[in-house]
Amino acid sequence: MTELHPEMHERRILGTELSWAFGVGVLIALSLGIIVVTALTMGINPPSNVERIDPKTLHLSGEFAEQNLGTSVGPDGHATVRIIATQFMFVPRCIAVPRGRGVTLRLATPDVIHGILITGTNVNTMVVPGYVAQVHTEFTRDGDLLMPCHEYCGIGHSEMWATVQVMTDNQFKPGADGRVSCAQR
Amino acid sequence: MHSDQPSAADDPAEVADDVDEAALARVMHTVPLGAAVLAGSMVALVVIGYLLIYLLIFIPRGTIG
Repeated sequence: MTELHPEMHERRILGTELSWAFGVGVLIALSLGIIVVTALTMGINPPSNVERIDPKTLHLSGEFAEQNLGTSVGPDGHATVRIIATQFMFVPRCIAVPRGRGVTLRLATPDVIHGILITGTNVNTMVVPGYVAQVHTEFTRDGDLLMPCHEYCGIGHSEMWATVQVMTDNQFKPGADGRVSCAQR
Repeated sequence: MHSDQPSAADDPAEVADDVDEAALARVMHTVPLGAAVLAGSMVALVVIGYLLIYLLIFIPRGTIG
């Protein structure tokens, strides 16, 4: 082995560092590319919605009044679910949704910060007082899923959960008013 | 310094070894390659883990937005 001139050492080290930087650049481009491709082709994006609502009056009238809570189906078959997250329960406690069709979840809270996730799906959002949290999704498997509060909201936090009943087209039959409730099982 | 205090230069442990430049060059030729292989394999493991979780868990869980 020949002894390298110090300048050659420097060049070799610089070459190694540049190769490593190139590899890191490729990895960053790859991960950003995956995120962009899945966002454009599969509709997978972080839920994002900025919509104000007055937490003091949301239960009195308007979209989140008691008679509007739960699942309603539009003429195009798209289901919209309105839920209030409050210490320490979800209203309603059981949510009926269709399998294989677009679903929009809209949540609001009159008290403190809550959060939801639905097991086995990518649904996961915070519910912040003063704002409407909104998530668009599509459920691919029918059955009962658990929807717990995942943001500590007080002493009864661990008791705060709801059930999401994913129904097949045979089971998911809106009434004359376009509303659907959970089936008794 | 007081005459009864020994100088650090008297202690062999405190004096730099004579470095064999040729031996150092030989070592420095192989060490960066080993470091690159080790770091590269560890990064590859992390990337493979990320891709497996993304493709086998995240994507099958369905659309979100």
